[in-house]
Amino acid sequence: MFTLVFIFSSIIASAQKFTVSGTIKDKKSGEALIGATLVVVNDPTIGVVTNEYGYYSLTLPKGDYKLLFRYVSYNTQEIPVTLDKNTKLDIIAEPEDRQLKEVVVSSKVSNVRNAQMGMTKLNVQEMKALPVLFGERDVMKIVQLLPGVESAGDGNSGFYVRGGAIDQNLILLDEAIVYNPSHLLGFFSTFNSDALKDVTLYKGTAPAQFGGRLSSVMDVKMNDGNDKEYHVSGGIGLISSKLAVEGPIVKDKGSFLISGRRTYADIFLGLSPDTNINRSRLYFYDLNTKFNYKLTDKDRLFLSGYFGKDQLGLGSVFGINWGNATGTLRWNHLISPKLFSNTSLIFSDYNYNINVNNSGFSAKIHSEIRDWNLKEELDYFSNPKNTIRVGFSSIYHTITPGTITGANITTVGKPDNHTWENGIYISNAWKPNSRWNIDYGIRLSIFTVFGGSEMYELDAKGAIKDTLKYGKSDVVKNYINPEPRFSASYTLNENSSLKAAYTRNTQSLHLISNSTSSNPTDKWVATNNIIKPEIADLGSLGYFRNFKNNMYELSVEGYYKYSQNQIDYKDGANVLNNDAIEPKLLFGQGRAYGLEFSAHKTQGKFTGWISYTLSKTETQINGINNNQWYNARQDRTHNLSVVAVYEVNKKWTLSSSFVYYTGDAVSFPSGKYNINNQTVFYYTERNGYRMPSYNRLDIGATRQLAHRKHFTSEISFSVYNAYGQQNPYIITFQDDPNDASKTQALQTALFRFVPSVSYNFKF
Amino acid sequence: MKRSHIIYIIAIASFILPSCQKVIHIDLNSADPKYVIEGNISNQAGPQTIKLSKTVSFESSNVFPAVSSALVTVTDATAGITDTLQEGAAGYYSTVSMTGVPGHMYQLYVKAEGKVFTSTCTMPMPVTLDSLYISKSVFGNTRGAIVYTDPAATGNYYYFAEYKNSVLTDNIYIRSDELRNGQVIDQVLSRGGGESELNTGDYLTIAMECIDSAMYQYYFTLQQTKNQNAATPANPQSNIVGGALGYFSAHTVSSKSVLVN
Repeated sequence: MFTLVFIFSSIIASAQKFTVSGTIKDKKSGEALIGATLVVVNDPTIGVVTNEYGYYSLTLPKGDYKLLFRYVSYNTQEIPVTLDKNTKLDIIAEPEDRQLKEVVVSSKVSNVRNAQMGMTKLNVQEMKALPVLFGERDVMKIVQLLPGVESAGDGNSGFYVRGGAIDQNLILLDEAIVYNPSHLLGFFSTFNSDALKDVTLYKGTAPAQFGGRLSSVMDVKMNDGNDKEYHVSGGIGLISSKLAVEGPIVKDKGSFLISGRRTYADIFLGLSPDTNINRSRLYFYDLNTKFNYKLTDKDRLFLSGYFGKDQLGLGSVFGINWGNATGTLRWNHLISPKLFSNTSLIFSDYNYNINVNNSGFSAKIHSEIRDWNLKEELDYFSNPKNTIRVGFSSIYHTITPGTITGANITTVGKPDNHTWENGIYISNAWKPNSRWNIDYGIRLSIFTVFGGSEMYELDAKGAIKDTLKYGKSDVVKNYINPEPRFSASYTLNENSSLKAAYTRNTQSLHLISNSTSSNPTDKWVATNNIIKPEIADLGSLGYFRNFKNNMYELSVEGYYKYSQNQIDYKDGANVLNNDAIEPKLLFGQGRAYGLEFSAHKTQGKFTGWISYTLSKTETQINGINNNQWYNARQDRTHNLSVVAVYEVNKKWTLSSSFVYYTGDAVSFPSGKYNINNQTVFYYTERNGYRMPSYNRLDIGATRQLAHRKHFTSEISFSVYNAYGQQNPYIITFQDDPNDASKTQALQTALFRFVPSVSYNFKF
Repeated sequence: MKRSHIIYIIAIASFILPSCQKVIHIDLNSADPKYVIEGNISNQAGPQTIKLSKTVSFESSNVFPAVSSALVTVTDATAGITDTLQEGAAGYYSTVSMTGVPGHMYQLYVKAEGKVFTSTCTMPMPVTLDSLYISKSVFGNTRGAIVYTDPAATGNYYYFAEYKNSVLTDNIYIRSDELRNGQVIDQVLSRGGGESELNTGDYLTIAMECIDSAMYQYYFTLQQTKNQNAATPANPQSNIVGGALGYFSAHTVSSKSVLVN
């Protein structure tokens, strides 16, 4: 009888569980910390990670606990908690002393324990030491130094992930899609690093809440703004200047952040004696704003916006401007301590306008892609072993394909294209025991194509056979794709783990571009009756090992990716004009595989990393290269990045980075002929040649200037391409100007020995 | 180097820092020689000429072998007349009696070294080049400007052959009536894509050709091939069946000349 009572009471006791929950914030700024860990001191296998809003919830049996808080560049804390009822516990995290901070870009989460593979979180504050082109700190260029990520070209902010094309990267700013994340033809990204809080890159292995692109997700989150005190920060560089203001709306309840940036290269252009240059307009600007307000203990509102514009022009004759605008309204609501809800209403827009005014002829071209997106997501912190995430996203896309209007000209244009992209998902982060971490889930993608725009039927040769008539509200086609997502890690011992992942991704918006550089007029085209959603299956395996108390992190990851419904152009296709695009396209398959090695040193005076990728990327499309597999343009066999940062003393930090990669696979001529009295080159196969390999060393130095009470400042110097390697930006073929009987290959290199200096301050 | 955004990149780069060009050596494969046909039938007084040649490897000098002793015929399918062309200079085949008539359909037949190539092209109705004058463009260069009246019907395509001191230049000027149908067009010839520029004292002749849509597409893609800024450069879209490079164009011609001063 006594035993029975004992057992019974112990069952009751074990059933008696309480939840400790709250938000983890930075002590000085009040910024919520994303991805911070909290573990039980006595049993470090029990723990939780904060979500995108810094929220955590941990349900444990009644008792006294000590929780250990850990986050990169914050002091570790032990927090005692007595759980005899549901407890709200906000944790104030203290940043490490600035002078002691010696970490560069590092994963904020221990890479051994985390289930996710192919994921990197960049620490935005800490990448400041790295040398950069024109002194512009650019997250998209830092990302290119990671294993499995390749630069799209010299100075270009675009990147390829595991052989994927540029348009296969989902780039999100506070959940809003950024369709063209570049300024000035790709040399700068739209992200002003001063306004950013967190940048996470998933290399094709994103969890189920992300969808819509094949190769990667770059999830960028803006700072919320300091809710304790006002701050102004800014920077003056060779190319641009920036200024940010943040502060509380109501102390500890709400805050704002406004950050702006503008280039002034056009001012210098005006000084040039060359009329071609001094009549040019050439600038871009960015504006980031964010407001947040805590309505109640359970409700918080966030409003964030981005607006950016580029202007290029020549006198009154020619002008082009383009830009993105995004807006996100979010409502965090705590349904219960274990159930966190976020509802988002998101607007996203990209458009370009071209004005031509030439001898009695004036025309305007306008093209736009516009999204309205409603998202709902629930995080259910079920128990320390399971965190369940359920949600949906519903995006209504409107694409204006490019209308031409003007005085005296026939208006040319096609009706707007409307599509509806829905995703429903469920995932669970499961820790069955101390060795396993498993994230699994599924996303169901439903892409609905509406009528109203022109749909075609093609014949066997790909020519238009018929134009199909659909009403505006008619559903032309639904594409339904289940996308499983699975990622697991198995801890071998304290310092090493094995990971495996399998994901399927689909993509229903495609960028049609036939240009070597990022071009503002590249077209986004939606899936329709002819263009199918692209599908990619990615499998990856990895081994992770840390040494010396996580001072050194080593990893090896291998991947294989197979893609269907890949799109390429027929030879000689003109994708710039307004004719139907479908007859100019060909569809096929792709495969990519590779090995990624990475070694990081994360602590000490000397930090940095080496990343090396060995890979192959191929495409097979009927109608190109005799239907054989051929190298994709971005097929780069070797890709090496070395980054080193050395903190000399409290004032000086030195840095350098070195990049080497195999040249792009390109089409060069295999002969020449004469037509209409000029030499024309003869092409026989696509991507049959290689650009010369690329290599570059950048160096930088940063000096902390006098540190007054509230005012800190620093000055940075850097040299991009310090040994002046002539990396070809483009290779062209021409008649030899000195000997008309010969032809020659001419390479153009852009950036050599580019020095820059920038001054940054904060008070 | 030739399209506007590349110019901007170079402009920016050359201002901020000198961009750097150099001649390099690249090992290019040499493909099997391919036949090249340059075929023109116009409404001008004959004889009309079809030129046959072959491709050479990139490393070779710019001497393109003529294809001799070929059988070349042009048939006016509308009138039912066939002309067998006679070879004059090596690779140049001339009509004997045929003159092009607007609206007529022409068929080309070439049999060279055992290979057969054919093509069909309809000569559009003529449009007159009303005037040619010299314009200093805002881009700072001297260019020819043309005036003509586009007919009321849609589907007119034009190619302007530019002769500087009686030599055909490498500029490819094309226009269509897609945007400005039926209007008086008074326009500077820009975006030719070539290296040739006009200077004071040059004698400029513009031959305006009315071409069909397939030939417009040919010249358009020839421009792209020459520009070399596409991610995937390719050969121009030829209207010749059988695998030859080049074109067969039946067109009308209206010319004007002016002295650059």
